[in-house]
Amino acid sequence: MALSGISRVRRQLPTSPWLFAAPGLLVTGAFVLYPFVSTLVNSFTDRRTLIPGRFVGLANFRELLHDDMFWTGLRNSTLYVLGVVPLLVVLPLLLALLVQKNIPGITFFRSAFYTPVVASIVVVGLIWVWLLDDRGLVNAVLETVGVGRVGFLSDQWLLLMSAMAVTVWKGLGYYMIIYLAALGNVPRELHEAAAVDGAGAVRRFLSVTVPAVRSTMVLVGALSSVAAFKVFSEVYLLAGPSGGPAGEDTTLVMLVQRTGTGLTGRVGYASALSVVVFAVTVALMLLVLRADRKEDS
Amino acid sequence: MRISRRAFAAAAVAVVLPLSACGSGGEGGGSGDASGKVEGGITFQTWNLRANFKPYFEGLIAEFEKKNPGTHVKWVDQPAEGYADKISADAAGGTLPDVVNVSPDLVAPLAKAGLALDLDKAAPQYEKEYLPGAWAGHRIPGQPGTYAFPWYLNTGPLFYNKSLFKKAGLDAEKPPTTYDDLFADALQLAKKSGGKVATLANVPTIEDFGRYGVPLMNKEGTGFTFNDAKGVELLTQYKELYDAKALDPQALTATPESSGKKFLTGAVAMNPGSALDLGNFKKQAPSLYKNIGITDQITSTGHVNMYVMGVMVNAQSKRKPAAVAFAHFVTDAAHQMSFAKKVAIFPSTAGSLDDPYFTKEDGTDETRVRVAAAKSLKTAVNYTPVLFSEQMKIALRNEVAKALQGKQSPEEALDNAVKECDRLLTQQG
Repeated sequence: MALSGISRVRRQLPTSPWLFAAPGLLVTGAFVLYPFVSTLVNSFTDRRTLIPGRFVGLANFRELLHDDMFWTGLRNSTLYVLGVVPLLVVLPLLLALLVQKNIPGITFFRSAFYTPVVASIVVVGLIWVWLLDDRGLVNAVLETVGVGRVGFLSDQWLLLMSAMAVTVWKGLGYYMIIYLAALGNVPRELHEAAAVDGAGAVRRFLSVTVPAVRSTMVLVGALSSVAAFKVFSEVYLLAGPSGGPAGEDTTLVMLVQRTGTGLTGRVGYASALSVVVFAVTVALMLLVLRADRKEDS
Repeated sequence: MRISRRAFAAAAVAVVLPLSACGSGGEGGGSGDASGKVEGGITFQTWNLRANFKPYFEGLIAEFEKKNPGTHVKWVDQPAEGYADKISADAAGGTLPDVVNVSPDLVAPLAKAGLALDLDKAAPQYEKEYLPGAWAGHRIPGQPGTYAFPWYLNTGPLFYNKSLFKKAGLDAEKPPTTYDDLFADALQLAKKSGGKVATLANVPTIEDFGRYGVPLMNKEGTGFTFNDAKGVELLTQYKELYDAKALDPQALTATPESSGKKFLTGAVAMNPGSALDLGNFKKQAPSLYKNIGITDQITSTGHVNMYVMGVMVNAQSKRKPAAVAFAHFVTDAAHQMSFAKKVAIFPSTAGSLDDPYFTKEDGTDETRVRVAAAKSLKTAVNYTPVLFSEQMKIALRNEVAKALQGKQSPEEALDNAVKECDRLLTQQG
């Protein structure tokens, strides 16, 4: 009886894993792989929303090279990575060190730092628009202290920096949690030994904490650089659908959205843009990975 | 903790792939024949109307179904945000409802793709029931046919803040009525307030150029023409306003909502609106409401701008007779009049604007605005060309912004805008 049960299980084994994986595979296939392949195919066509495309070879990619808005988008997305990633690698670590200590009331601060993560980006965006408006709270304070009004939402560069500030503010809590988990694995003895050897807080941070969480820093760097390169909501909410003054704050993903959606959307061209975003993002990940391997060796 | 190359690649793919959501196109076509028995189930899609008008539409549908036994209307309502994208997805996926609430700029690409029923062929008998201008509102240059029943119209006055006018030494009872007056008053307001109060909050749009008397498009509908001398003249005036802070510094990124808020807070002295806004002022800014001034839209052409809403029939509908009958039912004179009494909109049916509801004032601001708007609608024009897409609006806006910032001359800006819009027009097919 028992033997026949085992042989039945053995017979079913080859198919069972696939059956268990089927729901996930179906969802991934339908919502990830199919759109990806479809985008790849569309990028070589002149397809529009309501008109099926014809094969145009590399025409869309050639057009990209001569599209000023593409270069503006690439510049802004790259600047976003350069501006946001270092802050999102370092600040959450410092924050995690602060809230790691078990002192009364620390749970409140942990929750407070995490609140922006769970807040809706639209609500967050609107709040920041009100704060940074010409007549908003920030400008009112600046005017009171004699600095005068600053065009946070009307100057091309200040607008981009304001959007970066929102991204950093919103992401701090998320990466802080990742660092908290990593810090929990740092052996206490290492800190104690360093302290006995006379290392101060800064020295212990640089010589014990940072090496211990270096892999987590690489992970945070990779995740935040991908997210920063794909930035859309923050810039869209602060700069508006036209991408800031004269469209100068447009990011690549905003350009994908603007070009490829609507009844007159150029799906083929937007797909080519998406493929470029994909390629750059993968390149970013590989770059971070290479840096990590170099450090290891 | 080592992170493998494979893990990174997998993460990259998982994070980036969702970017690639793109629609699929569908072949246009569909018979224009709408004759036959009015029967069967149809779907009717409205544009953000359920929240405020649910009982009205449920009553309307019940009345239609009672009048036409054997019909069944399924009502779906879509939110305002992303409405065009929803229609795009439905059109591309072959799931466009039978009867769809549309604006002229949405109809144009659908008609070009063969998805909008040509009413000149399918239901020409109804044309005489509507105002000629409204019926023509859903025609497309270079393509014969009319592609939607006109539904409600809207236009509105220009609101101004009397208190800000007085503080600037202007006569609050004599608001500007010409562009020259407007520009002069705006410069004075900015000067007297030390640049703290702007008069206008938006950069000029295509409809502003139209109202200024700039020819927007050639008759064949094959190219834009707003880069002529008159267009350059308007943009040059706006540049002067921008430099003097008479045009709000945030105008380059403003939306109608954000400029409305600026007017509410007294940061901007004038703002276009509709009768609907009066209630909003009363509730949200009582002090502004006490000082509200109402004047006509400023125009060099003698025709104010109007917005047209339409009801389109899907050319691929399997129940065309029922769909055409229902679209007409929604937009006929009696139902448009009944809808207009529920909300501040105006019927597009012939003779409806002569109803005492639109001609007699009762001393309140609401009726004053309503009567003035109804009067101006008789000769109003929808200045925005139906072929002017969202991408073209952004292209124009960005070039205008460059001119205002002094990065290029108004001539260069408009030449570039026309070039880009023509390119987009060609790509639209």
